[in-house]
Amino acid sequence: MVPVNPRTLLKQFMLEHKWAYIVSLLSIVLSEFVTVQFPNLLGQFTDLLQAHKMTPALILHYAILLGAVGVLYVLLYGVGQLWNGTLGRRFEYILRRRLFHHWELLSTSYYRYRSIGDLLNHAMTDVRQVREALSGGLNILTNAIFLLIATLYMTLRTVPMELTLYSIIPLLFVPVFVVWFGPKVRLASKHVQEGLSDMAELTEESLSAVRLIKATGNEEVEAGRFRLRVEEIVRRQMTMFTRSALFQSMIPLMGSIAFAIALLYGGYLALTGRILLGSFVAFTLYLTMLIQPLQQIGFVINNFQRASASLARLAVLLGEMPDIESPEHPVELPVVRGRVAVHLPTFQYADAEEPTLTGVDFELPAGQTLGIVGRTGSGKTTLVNLLPRMFDPPTGTFFLDGVDVRDLSLQTLREAISYVPQDGFLFSSTVADNIRFGDEFASSDEVASAARDACIYDDVMSFPSGFDTVVGERGVTLSGGQKQRTSIARALLKNAPILILDDSLSAVDMNTEKRILAALERRRADKTNIIISNRLSAVRHAHLIIVLEEGRVVERGTHDELLRHDGVYAKMYHLQEAEEAVG
Amino acid sequence: MSQAEPTIGKKRRSQSSDVPTSGIHSLLKLLPFAKPFTWNFIVVLFLVIIYNGTSVLQPYLVKIAIDRDLSVHHPNYQGLLHITIIYVVIVVLGVVANFAQVLVLQYSGQSIIREIRLQLFRHIEKQSMSFFDTNSIGRLVTNVSSDTETVSQFFTQFFLSMMRDGLSVVMIVIAMFELNVKIAAISMIILPILFGISFAFRNRLRNAYQATRSRLSAVVSFLAENLAGMRIIQIFHQERRQDDRFGELNEKHRRANVREYRTSVFFNRVLELVGNLAVAAVVWFGGGSVLHGAILFGTLYAFISYIRQFFQPINSMTQQWNTLQSSMVSADRIGKLLEREPSIQDKPAVERIADVSRVRGQVEFRGVTFSYQPDMVVLKNISFRVEPGEFIGVVGPTGAGKSSIISLLARFYEPQMGSVLIDGKDVRDYAQDDLHQVVGLVQQEVNLFTGTVLDNIRLFREDIPRERVVAAAERVGAHHIIERMPHAYDTPLVGKGQNLSMGERQLLSFARIIALDPRILILDEATANLDSQTEELVQQGLQAVSASRTTLVIAHRLATIRHADQILVLEKGQLVERGRHDELVAKGGLYALLAEKSGVNARVVSGS
Repeated sequence: MVPVNPRTLLKQFMLEHKWAYIVSLLSIVLSEFVTVQFPNLLGQFTDLLQAHKMTPALILHYAILLGAVGVLYVLLYGVGQLWNGTLGRRFEYILRRRLFHHWELLSTSYYRYRSIGDLLNHAMTDVRQVREALSGGLNILTNAIFLLIATLYMTLRTVPMELTLYSIIPLLFVPVFVVWFGPKVRLASKHVQEGLSDMAELTEESLSAVRLIKATGNEEVEAGRFRLRVEEIVRRQMTMFTRSALFQSMIPLMGSIAFAIALLYGGYLALTGRILLGSFVAFTLYLTMLIQPLQQIGFVINNFQRASASLARLAVLLGEMPDIESPEHPVELPVVRGRVAVHLPTFQYADAEEPTLTGVDFELPAGQTLGIVGRTGSGKTTLVNLLPRMFDPPTGTFFLDGVDVRDLSLQTLREAISYVPQDGFLFSSTVADNIRFGDEFASSDEVASAARDACIYDDVMSFPSGFDTVVGERGVTLSGGQKQRTSIARALLKNAPILILDDSLSAVDMNTEKRILAALERRRADKTNIIISNRLSAVRHAHLIIVLEEGRVVERGTHDELLRHDGVYAKMYHLQEAEEAVG
Repeated sequence: MSQAEPTIGKKRRSQSSDVPTSGIHSLLKLLPFAKPFTWNFIVVLFLVIIYNGTSVLQPYLVKIAIDRDLSVHHPNYQGLLHITIIYVVIVVLGVVANFAQVLVLQYSGQSIIREIRLQLFRHIEKQSMSFFDTNSIGRLVTNVSSDTETVSQFFTQFFLSMMRDGLSVVMIVIAMFELNVKIAAISMIILPILFGISFAFRNRLRNAYQATRSRLSAVVSFLAENLAGMRIIQIFHQERRQDDRFGELNEKHRRANVREYRTSVFFNRVLELVGNLAVAAVVWFGGGSVLHGAILFGTLYAFISYIRQFFQPINSMTQQWNTLQSSMVSADRIGKLLEREPSIQDKPAVERIADVSRVRGQVEFRGVTFSYQPDMVVLKNISFRVEPGEFIGVVGPTGAGKSSIISLLARFYEPQMGSVLIDGKDVRDYAQDDLHQVVGLVQQEVNLFTGTVLDNIRLFREDIPRERVVAAAERVGAHHIIERMPHAYDTPLVGKGQNLSMGERQLLSFARIIALDPRILILDEATANLDSQTEELVQQGLQAVSASRTTLVIAHRLATIRHADQILVLEKGQLVERGRHDELVAKGGLYALLAEKSGVNARVVSGS
């Protein structure tokens, strides 16, 4: 899929909804022309009173007109605001979905060095920022600009231009001040937040180590460290409040100065008879109406600046090209048998200095079991991640049923492989949903049978709601072994021609391991299995065992052959044999 | 809406029903913290009155200008000038008073919260270990950070709003009645209408806001989880399904958000509508009065300004209702924590030890029986004695009660029967501070703190000089490792020491113990597998640490305690064997079995 710039998305969206936008903005513009009638009417009313031409009927007339202006304005503005805000939220939705969709296309190597917290921040904060500019910003900007135009027009019509010019001078500083000072307030408030999370982190750190702190009588020292954080918060809070108080004082101050000028100069004009008292009254009201839009223009400028930065960040995210994709013309494999061949001269991660795997070469006929053993960091996981193209192997190195995995569509390839990760990653939904992950239409019987074979069935039945128990933070917390067994059940249910267990029995005890292996043999007798394990008992019956050390195959053969060979494998075996006896 | 309400909303509701005691009195209990700031609050009140006075005066001044100087037959420019000057002075005074008010109030509020936080933290630290068994750290962190933050809003926002907004309303009302009783009385109709509308919308706004929040957090947690499990999604080829699920959650959030937005737009526009209609009504009533000469035009002008000034304070006061409710809940949680007495305390007239280094370090367990919970006995009638300077090993399968020995000796818990003695004196008769200086502990899991290597070794104690830290590191063989770090002893440890290997962490914790220099050391050996080179380093470190002090090692590798002066073998809470390595092997009991099966270099498997 072609990466898309979010700005293009935004343009498309606005074009698509151009009529809605036109109507909503028009309705806001209209509302401004309605609302500026308010001071005008009051002004006329004053003049009639002053000229002693007022009658009770006229008073009612003006009251009704004022009421009508009030109602019409609220309706027009409300409709425009609602429509616009709803549209903005729709774009927020679209953008967020687009982002997730895009992330699904990116491979493991993309996620390897990115923190999930950062990505989340983009998806939540940046997207929201864009929406705020789009809906709120657009509302306010339209509102502010047209209110300004309408007000200026009305004032210029009724009072001499000098009066408007002199009075408005202090007000012109309002947007400048907002643009200049607004970000400072924001920054100060960000520092407060950081201070607060610093304190929370320290509290967590201290309380997690409370045993040590008690054992060393270090309570006072810890309280001292805590005090530093707390005092820092107070300092930062005060900076923030000073700035925001300044901010909140300056704007009304400028408004009041403008008002004072109007009072003095306008009053002078009124008492010298150059303007009517009504015009003076109307003008002072217009002046108060101007403060808000001017202030808002400042906010909107800040808002647009932030949104623009967010859009730039989102553009980078969405511009990331998926590095692992299906070939344009994939080779069809109607039936996958599960024959695996690896002829890998060398594999190196893009950011690594040395190859992770060197000279790995083996063939595994369909229906056989391969064991991979070796120390942590010897390259076992990398090896099995290359087969389903979680990382891309070089062309012509990994073959499934004799076809280069890079020539197969990702769908064909990944449907042929079932995988159990080491950490037993589960989603926080129900146990059943997790086991069904690969096949959402599997029957309850199938789920139960997979659970039985993975030796998790009894555990599940002991949970409060059995298979409907939610796992994870909001439900039952599973032990490492339970997670592993549940993810084995998930992989078994998928029933793919190839099954990879990536050290997935490490947290399972010996007896359970034996039962799971036996079930595997029963259930997957004619299918290909690849088992990575630190514990040799798990690979003992494999048709082929390879021993990896620093990315190289140092030994290969069956269990008996390797024992006879009396090398690394044999040594590991004897050591583990001894430990097992104690356990 | 309430049907689809996700868990967060529910939790909050059930939480507040859990605490029927939470009420205004839980906030009052925190008032002593505010007492030192009584004067500050009085100053704030004074400043608020000034500020409000200046705001109420402004329309009044304009009224005077209109009625006295402008609309009369002999206009008075001098008068207008005076009024304008007074107007500017009043405005500046108001701005200054408001600014000063914010600073004084916030300073007081923040200082109160600082004291609450400090006391809360100290109080939590004082609790015994059994407290931490039942209270999750996450909850406690929330108490310290966000509950206090919520309470601070009571002392600042709530207090201020009641003062400022309440006063504004009162002052506007007074000013109106001053101007004209009849029109003022009619204008009062708007007050209940405004309060009514505000309260009616507040609840809906709050619910809508919470619904949006909880849906947003559903989106966030879905994203976090799916980004973490992207590999699984891809390998199971479930991209489309997860995409649909995300779409659903996202759509739910969008709907809630739009509903919240609509409610708030509706609320604001309705308020505005009421305001506009009120002005129209004032024009109608007041206009008539001007016509009949009952009032001057300037008075009408002032009424129009005052009516508009009503909205902001009333709106803000109703908003404080929510603040009050949430601060009561938070204050209640804080209060409950502060009320809780630590279950282990020093005896009233405990005698302090003058010189801790003169403690000899003899340890004795005398008929100790202990359980964490009733009827789950962990240790049964354990008796043994360790002479000063001896090296003792404790072995046994998981659940045999080995770690409980540590807990009792450090008095994290107290035994139900029997006693634990140091130099013949019951640990309960020591001050905890003294006891913890005498008994040092190295745990399996090494706790590291955000800070430099130096601070981690000396545990941030400024009284331990750098030289002593370096010497300690040298003794355990950690010095050259630390020297290789980018800034040596001043290297900051990130992410709780994730940049260190297991072995390096172990060595740091040894160095820490040497720097603290306790007379008695308990070491809970790490179960993790270390590579042979690190293993050797750690063993050397251990030897350095145990020299010249009484040492008890909870061993997982028999090699560690092979040369111990005495080995205690525990099984199911009972002391089944004791003696030296050779004696125990010769005896052919449980220890011999463990030793034989494991080979001396292998681990004594403790479950898994």
